[in-house]
Amino acid sequence: MSDKPLLRITNIDVFHGTFQALWDVSVEIIRGETLALIGANTSGKTTLLDTISGLLHPAKGTIEFEGKDIAWLDPYQIVELGITQVPEGRRIFPDMSVLDNLLIGSYNGSARSKKSQNLEKVYQHFPRLQERRKQIAKTLSGGEQQMLAIGRGLMADPKLMLIDEMSLGLAPIVIDELFKALEQIKERGITILFVEQNVRRTLKEADRAYILETGRVALSGTATELCEEDRVKKAYFGVEVCGV
Amino acid sequence: MGSGDIITPLVMGILLGGLYALIALGLSMVFGVMRLINLAHGDLVILGSYGGYALMTLLGLDPIVGLVISIPLMFLLGFAIQKYLMGRAFGISSEAPLIIAFGISLVLQNANQILWTPLSRALNTSYSNLSFSIGLRQFPLTYLLDFTAGIIVMLALRAFLIHTYLGKAITAASQDKKAAQLMGINTKRVYGYAFAIAMISAAIAGVFLGMTFPFTPTSGVSFLTIAFGTVIIGGLGSMLGTFIGGIILGIVQTLGGYFFGPASQMLIVYVIVLVVLAIRPQGLFGR
Amino acid sequence: MKLKATRSKLTLIPLAALILVLALLPLIGAPQSWLLYAFLFFIYLAMANMWNLLAGYSGLISLCQPAFLGLAGYTLAIGTWVGLPWWAGLLGGATVAALFALLISVPVFRLSGIYFAIGTLVVPEALRMVFYLWRPVGGQMQGAGAGYMIKGTGGVSTHLIYWLAFVLGIGSIFLMKRVLKSKLGLGLAAIRDNERTAASCGVSVFKLKLYTFIIAALVTGLSGAVYYLYQGYIEPSATFNVRWTMTLLLATVIGGIRTEEGPFIGTIVVVFLYFLLARYAGYSLLIQGMILIGLMLLSPQGIVGMLRRSRYYRYLAQCVST
Repeated sequence: MSDKPLLRITNIDVFHGTFQALWDVSVEIIRGETLALIGANTSGKTTLLDTISGLLHPAKGTIEFEGKDIAWLDPYQIVELGITQVPEGRRIFPDMSVLDNLLIGSYNGSARSKKSQNLEKVYQHFPRLQERRKQIAKTLSGGEQQMLAIGRGLMADPKLMLIDEMSLGLAPIVIDELFKALEQIKERGITILFVEQNVRRTLKEADRAYILETGRVALSGTATELCEEDRVKKAYFGVEVCGV
Repeated sequence: MGSGDIITPLVMGILLGGLYALIALGLSMVFGVMRLINLAHGDLVILGSYGGYALMTLLGLDPIVGLVISIPLMFLLGFAIQKYLMGRAFGISSEAPLIIAFGISLVLQNANQILWTPLSRALNTSYSNLSFSIGLRQFPLTYLLDFTAGIIVMLALRAFLIHTYLGKAITAASQDKKAAQLMGINTKRVYGYAFAIAMISAAIAGVFLGMTFPFTPTSGVSFLTIAFGTVIIGGLGSMLGTFIGGIILGIVQTLGGYFFGPASQMLIVYVIVLVVLAIRPQGLFGR
Repeated sequence: MKLKATRSKLTLIPLAALILVLALLPLIGAPQSWLLYAFLFFIYLAMANMWNLLAGYSGLISLCQPAFLGLAGYTLAIGTWVGLPWWAGLLGGATVAALFALLISVPVFRLSGIYFAIGTLVVPEALRMVFYLWRPVGGQMQGAGAGYMIKGTGGVSTHLIYWLAFVLGIGSIFLMKRVLKSKLGLGLAAIRDNERTAASCGVSVFKLKLYTFIIAALVTGLSGAVYYLYQGYIEPSATFNVRWTMTLLLATVIGGIRTEEGPFIGTIVVVFLYFLLARYAGYSLLIQGMILIGLMLLSPQGIVGMLRRSRYYRYLAQCVST
């Protein structure tokens, strides 16, 4: 595999109508790593994820996945290639059962044949989903819904998983549980790109991180490097808290 | 009127309600999945009736047997309408799909007018005038066929939505389009299938409608209103709710006729629809 | 500057001349059929302008315009049966239409967007049934004839009716300009931009929409009454008919929805096609349906949208508006 990146985003500009949300953004993800994307609310993190997923297309620049240009593919084609997104706000299908939500995750052609193995793995990560598989999804608690959303993403048999604001609005205990699951998922060889507002926690869990500010990459580096960076300390921690 | 026997109108209403449900199922499905009010639905149902009429007069096929030919054609037409017209209209503005549906309705009505003249037609078969009896009361056999077809189509659609991958994808896309896309569902294609499947039910509805009532190129509008009433009472998007809505509407109509005279039965239906809309716009069984 | 002003006045001359010719059309011995088409043009124009005000500018996709014009027509007809003069029937008809709008606003304004469209679609259907069953004056109906003659209009010349329509049609253009420039129009623009922001800035969304609904009902009703004054006869199935809605929608959308000049241009197209294909009524509507679909997909702002891409048209429009 050498050091050839799994996903390489080069100098992209992305617009929402006439509003430019991303400016000349370049990001690389190496196979097997856990990469964090950090930034304030309107910094363009979700826009970047949606562009990778094919919901938006860049006006300029390229996006390569395993050496193939994917910038102009439709979302369903991108899922088929092995990129899945766990969207912000979970967005499970509220009136379907837990099991049906998971099965929908394996809708794409290549994942459908492996659906029983993948279902078993999801149940290993989140035993609670197996207990509740017949329950209607909207009756789950917030943490369980997030587990369902991640499980549904895993059903697509991804190589790269994009996770948007996983810990938003959840209790610390639940967040711990979710990060533990992410570690197991990573051990299975799935590359993870996750977006968080909780910077401390993020830098603890990730190998590397990019910091976005108003649609531009402000900083990037390994988690330890970023912790040392004065600008990060000032902007996000007030005082130094890294390494705690 | 009103010689004391309320059973006859009640049974007639239930059976008629099966036909109304059959007509409304496609409308309900298209609304539930795409949030599209298909104003051309009545005309597409009538197109199904003319399809049955054409096959009957030209090839001598029984209208129900003729469905073997008309169903695939309507399926393709539905897929094409969604792909080339409605799908694009969604990107334009919120009123564009509604206006396009109006345009389709205009084209269908007048194409039928040119092809078949404005004369009233009917699908008359050897069994059209037969009847069956419950006790001493006689009922037209076609009404029983309508009801049976309504139940079968409703159950088939329900089973399709619950048990097949495509059905689940349609349901998922109707609940959250963005999430469905992120799960690898090609929503454009799924919408095409949803519209095409709604057209299958329209083809079936058209044939049974034509065996029960005479129809003209402009009949679509009144059946559209009935279908709206059914769907509004039952709640948009739910197959079972739509079926129950049809039965309620059928009973309201026949009992309205029984108590207030046959002339006012449709007026009572419309008043009930407006009242339900005002009180519970999401329908009696809607979420 | 001065040169430009005179030039803009010069371009206004043909327009003023056109209006003058239309006004004098009955006096200069124009053929009867021309008068009919011009009459229809004015009636449709007034109604299409009102539909544009509702659907285009207020987001109210109203499918119950036949209810307004029909109720006004019936008020006129019934009025003449009880001995009211025709002009009282016209005014009464418009009033009844406006009051009816107020009445049905109670249920239908609880609905938004597409539900509003369905709710309003049912209203004319229900009214058709009402007028099949209900015969307030005159003898019992025979057979399927539930219609009314409009009585005592012997003294009203067709020229007078033509001029009434003329005033309504041209007047509706100025009314639209007036409304859009007024506080009401500004409020509507704010709602269109962002309903929530407008509401939080103290714009009463409900009230503004209700006002436009009532204004539209009033003008549509008045136009309907003038139409039936000309027709001399009214019956439920042609009156409370979705065909009316289609005509108004066609005129507005073909011309250009949410543009001031759209209904004017669209109505010309609709009446012209009607005239051109008068002997093949079915073909005319078939073609209009296809134009409607094609235009919506290719140029959502209708003919005006296409014209606006030309510089000459923009110049002309600027001259007219100043």
